[in-house]
Amino acid sequence: MSSDADRREASEEASRERHASRGTETDGGTTADAEGETPAESDLPEDYGSGLSWPARYAREHVPHLVVIALFAAYPFLHAFLLESPVSAEAVMLLPDVDTMTAVLYFGLFAMSFDFISGYTGYLSFGHAVFYGTGAYFVVLTANGKVPFLPYDAPFLLLVVLGGVLAVVLSLLIGVVSFRLSGVYFAMITLGFSQVLYVFVRDWDYVGSSPRDGPAVVGPPDATAPAFNVGVPGVDALNLAIGGLAGDSVEGLFGFVNLSSTEVTYFMAGLVVIVCYFAMQRLVHSPFGRVMIAIRENEERAEAVGYDPFRYKLAAFAVSAFFAGIAGGLFAGVRRSVSPDNSLFFLVTGDALLASIIGGFGTLAGPLYGRLFDESVREFLSKEGAGGGLLPYLRNHLPEGVLGADIFGGLTVQEAIGAFLNGHAALYIGLLFVLFVLYVPNGILGTLRDRLGATVAKWAGARLSSGGDGASASPSGED
Amino acid sequence: MTALGLDPVVAQSLVDGLGQFLRPSTLFSVLVDGLAKSALFLMIATGLTLIFGLMGVLNFAHGSLTMIGAYLGGLIMVLTVSQGTPNGTRLAVFFVGLFVVFGVLAALGGVIEVGLIRPLYDRPPIYQILLTFGVTLVLDELVRIVTLFYDIQPVADWQAALGTKPTWFTDPVDLGLASVRGLALFEILFGVVTVVAVWAFLNRTRYGLVVRAGSEDSEMTEALGIDVRRVFTVVFALGAGIAGVAGMLLMWDKNWGASVPLAAETLLPAFVVVIVGGLGTFRGTVYAALIVGLADAVTTWWFINVVDLTFLPEVVVFAILVLVLVVKPRGLFGLAEVGGH
Amino acid sequence: MSSERDRRERSGSASAAAPDDPLLAVEDVHTYYGESHILEGVSLAVEEGETVALIGRNGVGKTTTLRSVLQLTPPRRGSIRYRGEELVGLRTHEVASRGVGWIPEERRMFAELTVTENIRIAVPKGGDPEAAIDRAFETFPALDERSDAKAGALSGGQQQMLAIARGLVGDNEFLLVDEPSEGLAPQIVADVADAIAAAAEEATILLVEQNLPLAMDLADRFYLLDNGQVVKEGSTENVSPDDEELRRYLSA
Repeated sequence: MSSDADRREASEEASRERHASRGTETDGGTTADAEGETPAESDLPEDYGSGLSWPARYAREHVPHLVVIALFAAYPFLHAFLLESPVSAEAVMLLPDVDTMTAVLYFGLFAMSFDFISGYTGYLSFGHAVFYGTGAYFVVLTANGKVPFLPYDAPFLLLVVLGGVLAVVLSLLIGVVSFRLSGVYFAMITLGFSQVLYVFVRDWDYVGSSPRDGPAVVGPPDATAPAFNVGVPGVDALNLAIGGLAGDSVEGLFGFVNLSSTEVTYFMAGLVVIVCYFAMQRLVHSPFGRVMIAIRENEERAEAVGYDPFRYKLAAFAVSAFFAGIAGGLFAGVRRSVSPDNSLFFLVTGDALLASIIGGFGTLAGPLYGRLFDESVREFLSKEGAGGGLLPYLRNHLPEGVLGADIFGGLTVQEAIGAFLNGHAALYIGLLFVLFVLYVPNGILGTLRDRLGATVAKWAGARLSSGGDGASASPSGED
Repeated sequence: MTALGLDPVVAQSLVDGLGQFLRPSTLFSVLVDGLAKSALFLMIATGLTLIFGLMGVLNFAHGSLTMIGAYLGGLIMVLTVSQGTPNGTRLAVFFVGLFVVFGVLAALGGVIEVGLIRPLYDRPPIYQILLTFGVTLVLDELVRIVTLFYDIQPVADWQAALGTKPTWFTDPVDLGLASVRGLALFEILFGVVTVVAVWAFLNRTRYGLVVRAGSEDSEMTEALGIDVRRVFTVVFALGAGIAGVAGMLLMWDKNWGASVPLAAETLLPAFVVVIVGGLGTFRGTVYAALIVGLADAVTTWWFINVVDLTFLPEVVVFAILVLVLVVKPRGLFGLAEVGGH
Repeated sequence: MSSERDRRERSGSASAAAPDDPLLAVEDVHTYYGESHILEGVSLAVEEGETVALIGRNGVGKTTTLRSVLQLTPPRRGSIRYRGEELVGLRTHEVASRGVGWIPEERRMFAELTVTENIRIAVPKGGDPEAAIDRAFETFPALDERSDAKAGALSGGQQQMLAIARGLVGDNEFLLVDEPSEGLAPQIVADVADAIAAAAEEATILLVEQNLPLAMDLADRFYLLDNGQVVKEGSTENVSPDDEELRRYLSA
């Protein structure tokens, strides 16, 4: 054995021993296994798709993604259909509204960007809301004419991208200071930065008449509020406005499809999110992504092998900030308003954290599903009238006798539901969060990946190719 | 001044403000205010630093524990005290209540530690942070449910509880140089008692010796035959108890008051204090609490009286955090290695 | 420095114990760090009163073996019996309270605690701290002079003495000593060797040591580890540090 190997092994044993006592060593349940990425891993063998053109091959490698996209795309129609069906009452109770789903999309993007840095490098960005808020405020302030050098009716997509760029600049400033630290210290200092901005914006008169409530998109003093268009820049026909009442509705698409403005907003937001997701996904599955994971697994070793962790961390942080900023801009475009509490407050990052735990840290797509779950439960337990939910359903369907029944001390069933369930989704989600941390630490997607032994896409791709060819093109079996 | 680009009117008000600030009476009242704030931050941060030092767990639920202490203490006071209750009785009830709150919160802390945190010892530390974050969500929402059920507004300070103070603490106390809040002096007293009690515990008892050793190297401590896990539970419980007591004090302080947002309002400054002082060192926490408390008091005075920037205190406090971390990444008195299992 | 022969005589007489009751019996132990298979079936035995050396290159698993005994890094497979009782599955503090002391690599003093406090904390419940401290200072007078100093302020050699003193506290009968000579100047190493030899009179010792002559000097027997397994064992009597085979395994 060469002496280099000895020395590496020696420092390895020593550092392993140090790390083991501090519990930072990978255990069987961490996302490294879930992600199944190693530096030596190659993509599926080339030969299985002989004769297929590259779009077909790409499609085969991304079957689960296409399925998910198709499901999301079909949702508004499914939802509308079920609302007219005999199970309409149940559908109203259980299924989230389309505009809730839009929120799932843009916040899901934010949560995915959070996972990009926190799940893949292991550096918890507790102040991530600052980038989301930056993107959101940038859009609103520009639309109100308050940003110099930019016209109030600048194209929405441009604003979203610029907001992302602004977030990147901010992330470099924060990162240069914060990445000198690690672990808890990094988390706290990033939280500190974001709280400072939160407190500052909350009292900054420039943003609007009531900075604590946040500005709405009203346009500059001498003009009307602009529309926010998503689509191909310059081509009018392919541009659709988003955002509640101000959005476009579409009639006669493909001859028979009519879309309300809510649905148009949903689809346009979905387009933006899809593009951003695939961009992040490409990065994660690239050599850059592998270095990120190496940093998470053993930063000292990554450095010993020759990478400069500081640069990579900063770059990853910048990327995550970019997409967080885009998510914020999208959020502002849909809601047409922003407030410090729904964009910069640290609980906003907390929500991304929640989504990541439920969906799965280090899976990239997991947080989207985590957010879907979160929003569904919230809507299910929401206060009456605000979009279906359990209470109205029970009130309409449980017999009076049951509703009025005494549980104890004069407390009726109906009152109990009102006091303990309605509007208190946060309690049950919190409980679920704790349970997940304890028993399902890799989240839904992470656990699924553990079971399959690889990412869902690779598993499906291998299944599809080996099913027909009989070749044993199984995914590299990580344990 | 105009050379600095400052509007002459603004410049003049700054100079005036400085003059007003430098008067002995102002300085003294700001000092008392600052020391009172330091005492409160110290009480909240002590539990945090002991827990982190020993276990490496950053207890996000700490603010919620303080908040529960505030409500529980408020409940005790509201139920026993009425309009006509004399001051002496009120104070006596308060002290009894302190013991009750300490006990209940310590028990709650113990249960959380054994039931929820222990299973995560062998996992990377991030999971404990996540877990305590989840516990905070649950506790906060539970309190919200209960307070709403009894028609108390969870977001606003609990007025009824505020009203149970003895008049000694509502009326200003004339100390010659200036008039100060009576409650501030009471809080300072508690701060001093906390410092002495914790110091004595750490340095004069065997348990404290174990805590100090465990904070440095819990593995070695265990290899000496000491059941470190049980020590973790006790320290977590103690930290929770002290947090609860701090909450009960805050319940009487109209600058804070018992409300669900109290959890977040106390948690962030506590984190700053703990990290600035150095995770795991009590001495560091004491010094940091003094720095942060005084800085908060000074900047609050300035924003009330001179400069209309309501965010000034928070910004300054976080600026201190950033500055210290940049210059001394482990905090002012931080140990090189901290915690572990 | 007392003569080699003296030391051998002292320890030699103690190892006349019955060979079929080893104090420590390690059998086919497999220990992992995460997924790294460090110990791949280590078996060894230490008789009461002996001093046994564990030698081998860096990274072969010597420290891991000690940690496995203490259950600091519990083995995944295999058995470790102390006085016939199975240690695998116990908590570390339970192993320690059965009379097993640990003198770890890098000493691991509690730097912020005083010398006295470092000894005091090692006294088991029900023990007499004052008596233990007195005994320690008797055996190591140099420590007495610095009794109120913070352990972090001591020199390397003094810290090693303190570590040994701490290991002996509580009447520990079995000491796991990890690289006591590491980072120490040769004159100090001699003092440390004396201290360990003195300790060997009261306790059984399993010694990990890179310094081959020192290991051969102090120990009655040795086990040579390579790639997580025992590849050679024997008495230290007739083995010279220049032995060909040993050199081959130990050279970089």
